[in-house]
Amino acid sequence: MIEARNIGVTFNKGTPLQAVALRDVSLSVPDGQFLTVIGSNGAGKSTFLNTIAGLVRPESGTVAVAGSDVTAWPVHRRARLISRVFQDPKMGTCEDLTILENFALAHSRTHPRGFAFAIDRSIREKTAERVRLLGLNLENRLDDKVGLLSGGQRQAVSLLMATTGETRVLLLDEHTAALDPKTAEFVMELTRRIVAELKLTSVMVTHSMAQALHYGDRTVMFHRGGIIFDVSGERRAALTVAELLDLFRRDQGEELSDDALLLG
Amino acid sequence: MSLYELLGTVEVGLVFGLVSLGAYLTFKILDFPDLTVEGSFPLGAAVVATVIVALGWNPWVATLVAALAGFAAGWVTAYLNVRFNILHILAGILVSIALYSINLRIMGGPNKPLLGAETVFSGLDGWSLPSYVLSPILVFVLVLAIKFAIDFFLHTGIGLGMRAAGANPAMAEANGINVGRMKLFGIGLANALTALAGALFAQTFGAADAYMGIGIIIVGLASVIVGISLFPTRTIGQATVACLLGALLYRFAVALSLNADFLGLQASDVQLVTAILVVLTLMSQSSRLGLGRLLKRKPK
Repeated sequence: MIEARNIGVTFNKGTPLQAVALRDVSLSVPDGQFLTVIGSNGAGKSTFLNTIAGLVRPESGTVAVAGSDVTAWPVHRRARLISRVFQDPKMGTCEDLTILENFALAHSRTHPRGFAFAIDRSIREKTAERVRLLGLNLENRLDDKVGLLSGGQRQAVSLLMATTGETRVLLLDEHTAALDPKTAEFVMELTRRIVAELKLTSVMVTHSMAQALHYGDRTVMFHRGGIIFDVSGERRAALTVAELLDLFRRDQGEELSDDALLLG
Repeated sequence: MSLYELLGTVEVGLVFGLVSLGAYLTFKILDFPDLTVEGSFPLGAAVVATVIVALGWNPWVATLVAALAGFAAGWVTAYLNVRFNILHILAGILVSIALYSINLRIMGGPNKPLLGAETVFSGLDGWSLPSYVLSPILVFVLVLAIKFAIDFFLHTGIGLGMRAAGANPAMAEANGINVGRMKLFGIGLANALTALAGALFAQTFGAADAYMGIGIIIVGLASVIVGISLFPTRTIGQATVACLLGALLYRFAVALSLNADFLGLQASDVQLVTAILVVLTLMSQSSRLGLGRLLKRKPK
């Protein structure tokens, strides 16, 4: 479903601030796989996700999604195939618009926008049905502005919006990092449920090793712009956070120094 | 203030209501402070006067041509910003400066009189009511129709996309909205409204003038600020009404302050009065209101 080949990204090339973010990264995510991505700050995991989404243009390599080479496609064109949930709950929704209007926007990701009313009875009914899944009583607040919702509610709404329509690929960029632990768990469980129900191909970047191993069916770790290990199946099922750290130490000959990774 | 003056003020206020709606689209909906209007207002006037006088076209067609010219001007500003990343304010200044010369070229001089020429208001002669009563009514109907058209547009799929493109560009892109194209269309539309206002103003006033655009940006902004700080803006329909009422109120405030003899102001003080009115509105506004917050420095 996602086919990244020999991706190279350098930021601020030709200036004193030049930094290599990704070196010759290749990764293939088959249809329906839920991949989790970990790595310390600056490891390149977010850059990789942004390269798939189209926010970052690689200087070498190609990205293909659902059989189309999307390397030259701008973000809005890729949106037909790929949807995203951001880390900041404020980013995924438009606070000046109502819940319903936000869903109408998301609906248009895979349906053409036109000069007809964006909101009709069918959108209203579909949206009410979708948000009822959350159990947050939002189905009775469809005409409320999204700005009135809490961070957790907004993130749950973002997630539902990202999974409306015919999107096949879901990118999650530390989408629970800004939430309190209880809300984070709620959003994470919701993610697991939706991804399983819709059989979405998903890539989740996370700061938490425990989360990375607990959810999904494959985990890769980024370090200094490359993938240092890739684990799935039974080996992954048996892996603990402590073993993961040992693995890292052995492979890299250095200690992992990012507290967030260890504590998460 | 006599009835004649009152109706005249209402008419001009309604014409500037179109500028106000344009400013609402750019400043509030698209979050794009657009200064092109300083050039597109006289552009509309210049085009309509020239097309009516020199080409002898139907005044309604000429007015439409003026609006299209305004759309093109706004489109160029947005293109400079979207394609070449020129700062929005600078792009607007560049286009409005260029338009100053273009307007002189179009008119073949600094002004173009319309006296005696057929205008959209000519058809009002010969009715039982005098034209100074009928022309505000004509403008009112026209402006109201445009207001409802904008309300409708902002509720369509594309209009919703435009609102998202202004409010949260990253989210809009992630939902498949071409933010650049929305800016091109939205800024074009706003300048079409402004040029239409210029065209109507020239036909009421009886001439087009290259200097007509000075301070138009502040007129539009002042109307929006006055409108949204005094009236409810929970829905788009309410917000556009607020913009129109703001334009009327602003016009009355200017007319009254210039008429008040004890203040000793003359017609040439209009820009000073405008600036002071805007400052007073911004000062009196509580910080929770959107546009006031946008235009004021954040308190430390």
